Amino acid sequence: MSDLAIPTVQAKVKSERSSIGSLHMVQTASILVIALVIVSPLFMLLIASLKDDRFQILADMGSFRAFWVSSPTLSNFAEIGNLSGELAFGRYLVNSLIILASTVGAGLIVNSMAGFVLAWGSLRGRALILSLVIALYVIPQESIIMPLVIMVSRAGMTDTFAVQIVPWIASPLYIFLFYQFFAQLPKELFEAAEIDGASVFRIYRSIFLPLSLPALATVSILMGIESWNQYLWPILVTQTDYARPIAVAIATFFGQDSIYWDRAMAASVLMMIPILALYLAFQRWFVSSFVGSAVKG
Amino acid sequence: MASVTIEQVRKQYGAVPVIHGVSMDIEDGEFVTLVGPSGCGKSTLLRMLAGLEDISGGEIRIGGRLVNDVAPKERDIAMVFQSYALYPHMTVAENMGFALKLKGGDKAAIGKRVKEAADILALGPLLDRLPKQLSGGQRQRVAMGRAIVRHPQVFLFDEPLSNLDAKLRVTMRAEIKDLHQRLKTTTVYVTHDQIEAMTMADRIVVMRGGAVEQIGKPLELYDRPANTFVATFIGSPAMNLFEGSIGDGQFVTDGGARLPLPAGYSVHAVRTYGVRPEHLALSENGVPATVVVVEPTGSETHVVVKIGSADTSLVLRDRIDLEPGQQIAVAPDLSKLHLFSASGTRVN
Ligand SMILES: Nc1ncnc2c1ncn2[C@@H]1O[C@H](COP(=O)(O)OP(=O)(O)OP(=O)(O)O)[C@@H](O)[C@H]1O
Ligand SMILES: [Mg+2]
Repeated sequence: MSDLAIPTVQAKVKSERSSIGSLHMVQTASILVIALVIVSPLFMLLIASLKDDRFQILADMGSFRAFWVSSPTLSNFAEIGNLSGELAFGRYLVNSLIILASTVGAGLIVNSMAGFVLAWGSLRGRALILSLVIALYVIPQESIIMPLVIMVSRAGMTDTFAVQIVPWIASPLYIFLFYQFFAQLPKELFEAAEIDGASVFRIYRSIFLPLSLPALATVSILMGIESWNQYLWPILVTQTDYARPIAVAIATFFGQDSIYWDRAMAASVLMMIPILALYLAFQRWFVSSFVGSAVKG
Repeated sequence: MASVTIEQVRKQYGAVPVIHGVSMDIEDGEFVTLVGPSGCGKSTLLRMLAGLEDISGGEIRIGGRLVNDVAPKERDIAMVFQSYALYPHMTVAENMGFALKLKGGDKAAIGKRVKEAADILALGPLLDRLPKQLSGGQRQRVAMGRAIVRHPQVFLFDEPLSNLDAKLRVTMRAEIKDLHQRLKTTTVYVTHDQIEAMTMADRIVVMRGGAVEQIGKPLELYDRPANTFVATFIGSPAMNLFEGSIGDGQFVTDGGARLPLPAGYSVHAVRTYGVRPEHLALSENGVPATVVVVEPTGSETHVVVKIGSADTSLVLRDRIDLEPGQQIAVAPDLSKLHLFSASGTRVN
């Protein structure tokens, strides 16, 4: 057995060594691609948002001047405080933030509870429910969106915040994520708490939830991004500025008669800030949850 | 504190029975260990006592109260797990105080009880640490601390020392025993280590394959094992067993050796002849034997010899120079023989 093992180990070392060179090339290449595809448009966006002449922005697009601004100005951001009017940047941002915070807040509670019960609850048919949840995950959001629009308009919920929050709180993906996280915690932890006299809810709240920071962070970020980028749904269910999120608002800047390229650029920059902040806030746990499972796996 | 009565308790997982009608009475304040080989159902029985597994049949009473359908938290028991199961995000003090907090005691009272328990276990300086900042032995003590702050009726331990190194295990063994002598709380302690069972218990329950083989005081099990299983399970090195039959007032092994019997012994149903390694001595007119292995441990010498065709262990207190291959003669202490029938039960 050990005689056999030695050559394979050596072979592995050898192939690893020879693959280091090509690994390097792959790395460099992928960094280049990332730079071209992701970073350069971002940079372009940032530069464009600092130019005050919207015709100039268009004219610069096709050349290297897209990456250069001679006299930067923040005038495109002037409407950031507007809560009403044609360019109510402030309002759209606040709307998006309200929707994001409510969806993520409620989503963390609902999905983690569901995941916990599926992992540790004593309800009957747990396995069946779990496989249904997983089956639900394969259904794309877009395919249920039209019936959902009809449902909410019948219920008179259109053009509200609730209509943009409630449908997206419970999600099979996040339930499953929490389920997986909770299920891998040791059984003795649950039992020790049970013997200590904790109710199932108390075990969830005082033991398992505090231990699930990585899962909470991961779900916060994923849910936050999803909520922030909602586009199709809010277009269908909002008619006025009242609850309109920024992603939809940016699209309306490209009206038929006036194209606010300058404002759209600024709005896009603004739109990135909160979600970046969310990511940075949770990134430590987000990353560690992946590293942790990788190392253990 | 309370007595524990287990009566004809059975457990099956689906159609698979794992505990087949186990009964025992544990007195108030007694320290009972459950021992047996891996998979014999020790943990399952303990978990049924705790209320973590439901009972397929029979009755369990704690302090006279039938608890078959009583939830774990209502049973007034505390359990120490093999993995300790400390709450990783709570400090030592919070871990120990959690049960009291759930009961709704006020902060000062909880703090006082935690402090008391911490003093007993010398955990005082560690109260603000997290479990991950503790050594294995310290975690073990916190797990016990979490059990004792509650002043439960019964302590349940499931192999609490098996994650510790050999030396620490001996220390903790003494510590748990000392704790029991101070608190006098009824204790059920699961282990697969017969030395642990022997040294700690008031009484030992030997289990095999989901059934009780024998219940008794440690020395009772050592002196009078009820069957060949208990005979080989208790005692280290294990008892020597020879298969054979009685003829001419001697025991003739299947390997052809002739072993002495007490004078006038005439029961013929003996199939197995048992003698402990420490009850064999060198003796000029004993049974001929050939030395195979010599292992000096310092205080005593372990010797493996061949008697007939059977490998036989000896434990000698004196330092005697022996060489592998050497011919010697050994004699058993006739007052300490163990004779078993063909079914393995004791006959003398
Ligand atoms: N959840 C379960 N489902 C089916 N069988 C089980 C389950 N739990 C335990 N068993 C079986 O019950 C028997 C007793 O298990 P138990 O854990 O009580 O053994 P043990 O004596 O504690 O062993 P060890 O010394 O290895 O801990 C084993 O044969 C085991 O395979
Ligand atoms: Mg066990």
